[in-house]
Amino acid sequence: MTLRLTINGRESLAPDDPMTPLVDLLRERFHLTGAKPVCREGFCGACLVMIDGEPTLSCLTPGGLAEGRDIRTIEGLSPAGRLNPVQNALEAHDAVQCGMCFPGMVMTLTHALRRNAAPSREELRHALTGNTCRCTGYERILDAALSAAGALQGGEP
Amino acid sequence: MIDTHPSLYIAPTLGDALSALGERGAEGAAFAGGTWIMRAPIRHQPLGRAYVALGKIEELQRVDVTPAHVEIGACATHATIAAALAPCSDLAVLAEAAGRSANPAVRSAATIGGNLMAADFAAADLVPALLCLEASVEIVARDGVERMTISDFLLKRQYLACDRLLSRIRIERADRRSAHTRLPLRKAGDYPVAIVSLSARIEAGRLMEPRIAVGSVEPVARRWTPLEAALEGAPIDIAAARHAAEAYAAYFQGREGIEAPGWYRISVLPALIGRALQSLSS
Repeated sequence: MTLRLTINGRESLAPDDPMTPLVDLLRERFHLTGAKPVCREGFCGACLVMIDGEPTLSCLTPGGLAEGRDIRTIEGLSPAGRLNPVQNALEAHDAVQCGMCFPGMVMTLTHALRRNAAPSREELRHALTGNTCRCTGYERILDAALSAAGALQGGEP
Repeated sequence: MIDTHPSLYIAPTLGDALSALGERGAEGAAFAGGTWIMRAPIRHQPLGRAYVALGKIEELQRVDVTPAHVEIGACATHATIAAALAPCSDLAVLAEAAGRSANPAVRSAATIGGNLMAADFAAADLVPALLCLEASVEIVARDGVERMTISDFLLKRQYLACDRLLSRIRIERADRRSAHTRLPLRKAGDYPVAIVSLSARIEAGRLMEPRIAVGSVEPVARRWTPLEAALEGAPIDIAAARHAAEAYAAYFQGREGIEAPGWYRISVLPALIGRALQSLSS
């Protein structure tokens, strides 16, 4: 079977079975390795991508259910190498450690800051409930996210 | 050459889903949010042969709230349920269960039907909440509709014929208060070691017709009927309720698990009863 997926605005074909997890299609078929298959249980958030604008666990999403929907990966948040405001803030605050969790962190925070231009620290903590940082650098991640508040209103990326 | 990869049919209507499940027979299975099925490899279980996806069927995603009752489509997500029931103080137990389970991304995908149909998922938050609300469920087939209590459903769910589908959950509303308490090993984003769901009428500071359900302690959630009887008509006294819970804790046989031993799950129940009662009375 061939899956027809729209990834970062481009239509792509994948000759794979429809129950293949989206994260595996992204990485193995399209070499978009930002999303990470870490726990494969929906606990860690490292595989998060946006589907139709909502943070979605690509490890628990069959490729067949992503057909006809807008899939946006971390690679699609920084077209032409321009970082989005959350990525810029994380870099400026020296928040990135091993980097394994960051694609998912950026997805969650980008979505949270689009919905709420002035979140509290506690609201951001709640938003990050499903993103695990094994380096435990949460406080600097929150500092960075708060500094980016307001910068994501008004559309992409 | 035989294709051994699982197939996935996206059903546009409930009728199509029932037909597809009937055609696939024992090899077929319904696919709702996928948060249980997609983890089959982690549990060292093979995927099924043929899935019928229900996520495009609008009627299965609706939550209809009236003053008399609530009807929840089997594919309503936890996030949808939490938002729809937030204004309903009598259904706080279900809104809390749906709004605090797992993490935001899982809550956006996981469905109430999936929670109920995953018979091996002992830590399902919605199940004890529905037990203490005495919900009923609707099972549809091409030849008709069957309704049963949630308790009956939990006994029969593993034996549902392959062409039958859990379609709807119904809760009769009443002048009751309710609360949901859970103990995850981490503060948030984890599955609970033990769950207590409580619903009761409160008259002159006393608990009337309390319904208490316990989840995650045993393989399947169930009502704590001896404690319900002990607390019937009792004043709201958290210390006394905790003592009563300790007295009736032997009603349960805790399941062993990598995250907690069985004795520990039981030992936290009095504290959860106290918290539930505190929430109910606040």
